[in-house]
Amino acid sequence: MNAGVRVRTGGLRSFVARRLLLGAAQTVAVVLLVFALTEALPGDAAVALAGDQPDPARIAAIREAMDLDRPAYERLADWAAGLTHGDFGTSLASGRPVSGYIADGFGPSLLLASLTLALLVPLGFGLGVLAARHEGRLVDRLVSGVTLAVYAVPEFALGVLLVTVLALKLAWLPPTAVGYGTDLLAHPAALVLPVLVLLSRPVCSLSRLVRAGMVDALASPYAAHARRYGVPGARVRYAHALPNALAPAAQQLARTVDWLLCGVIVVEALFVIPGLGTVLLNAVAERDVPVVQGLAVVFGVLTVVLNLGADVVAYRLTPRAGVAA
Amino acid sequence: MTTKATARSARRRRSRFALGLGIVAVPLVLALLGPLFTGDPGPRSASFTLGGGHWLGTDFVGRDVWRQVLHGGRTVVLTALAATALAYLVALPVGLVSALTHLRRLEDVLMRPLDVLLAVPSLLLILLVASVFAPGAAGLALLVALVNVPDAARIVRAAAGEVAARPAVEALRMQGETWWRIAVGYVGRSSLRTLAADAGIRLTGVLYLVSTAAFLGVGVAPDAADWAVMVDRNRTGLLVQPWAVVVPALLIVALTTGTNLLFDAALEKTPRTKGRRP
Repeated sequence: MNAGVRVRTGGLRSFVARRLLLGAAQTVAVVLLVFALTEALPGDAAVALAGDQPDPARIAAIREAMDLDRPAYERLADWAAGLTHGDFGTSLASGRPVSGYIADGFGPSLLLASLTLALLVPLGFGLGVLAARHEGRLVDRLVSGVTLAVYAVPEFALGVLLVTVLALKLAWLPPTAVGYGTDLLAHPAALVLPVLVLLSRPVCSLSRLVRAGMVDALASPYAAHARRYGVPGARVRYAHALPNALAPAAQQLARTVDWLLCGVIVVEALFVIPGLGTVLLNAVAERDVPVVQGLAVVFGVLTVVLNLGADVVAYRLTPRAGVAA
Repeated sequence: MTTKATARSARRRRSRFALGLGIVAVPLVLALLGPLFTGDPGPRSASFTLGGGHWLGTDFVGRDVWRQVLHGGRTVVLTALAATALAYLVALPVGLVSALTHLRRLEDVLMRPLDVLLAVPSLLLILLVASVFAPGAAGLALLVALVNVPDAARIVRAAAGEVAARPAVEALRMQGETWWRIAVGYVGRSSLRTLAADAGIRLTGVLYLVSTAAFLGVGVAPDAADWAVMVDRNRTGLLVQPWAVVVPALLIVALTTGTNLLFDAALEKTPRTKGRRP
């Protein structure tokens, strides 16, 4: 027993160490990739970025703002050093610091993401357990069918259809968040549709995984053995079968971060919410490279860290499965 | 009892397959054959009107919505198919080689960079590149393929690795079969089912990504005849002319949902093969 525990913690420690190393490599790669983008510009970056307004003054201003006259490695070193203490450079369009943009958009995006995650876990597990309990019966087929169908639908298509029906035809909810500013919590009605749309895909995938894990476990010899010993059905379900679904679910939650990010960008565009996604899309449209780079680093590093956490949790739940690291 | 249950599940599977086929047929036929059935664009009329000789009204610049619908599916479908094919074109050799090689270092060289690339959220990478270049439909297909390569290569590697550990592969090696014959003729063929299942899931994901990118304005002209662009551009007239948004949105929903249902039903593991392990 004792030896077993020691082996397991030792395995965990070396796994965490390897996973941290990969996370560090990924962080460096994200920073390099984002930086390489400006280097990949064909010809003179300043001319390329000026785009529609190629007057010499603007080109000179861009060159000045991005330090394009200095060699690339010096700029990379400066930029990376700035990143470590929150200096993301300045916007080409407005001259404001990029960190200001990030601070402005952070609130609404964080609110959307955390509300979605808070609802995702109970909803996904609830639906999955419900379907697994009634495996093969009408409830299961209904839940499985709907989750399979909705799983693949892009947020924007589902979103406009929901807006058309719920906001315009039935007038139950506001169609967009226009006029509410960044203080969305004061207008919960405006949050219902965005969160609903954000939930659509992750809930489907999570509940399908939980269902599959539980169905597998309920059909396994150890569940049958527990039943033979007279362990009550609820205890078999929740104490013996449900944990089997936890590790894949934790992994899926990490992948949800990627989806949530895509979803937040789309949903903010769809419902006109002034969050990070809107800032990013505006910057992309204006070719405001420093802002795009700053946001990309924030999003990228966030994804790396959250994936790392989920992998460690998943490994802790099933050390023998050997999560890729 | 078991045969009855198997028969019932097989029947259900067939009906789900038919349902998926029925759902995906409408957008697919419209997308691929639609452009053949449209006449001249005709004169533009006022924006967001209903009736007046236009079956589904007019869009934000006064074009006939039905005509735009007939033209708008082709880019989405073809870009998605091209991106999926491209992703596998890279992922298959990388995955197969790293599964069959005995050189640990070669495997690391092939797979580790992909692990690192996995960290970047897919839509973020697409937007990042779109902010610097202005990719067209081909550029979008390349980008979407690129973000799909790491995951696809990992799955190819895992599926092929399981097969490559079988005694049969060792026997083939000892018989002096060529690497090519072992890799393609045996390992590739044996992992076909897993790869087909993954290709189905991947195509659904690629459809999602391609249409979402188009909705955000990446890889398409701002007034392109594209279902996702139509949804985006005609949103301003949602109150007066909902058809210009609802019809393309429904077609995208049908396309993605139908594809997913179809592949799920077609590739579901039958109980017969479920317990088989090498």
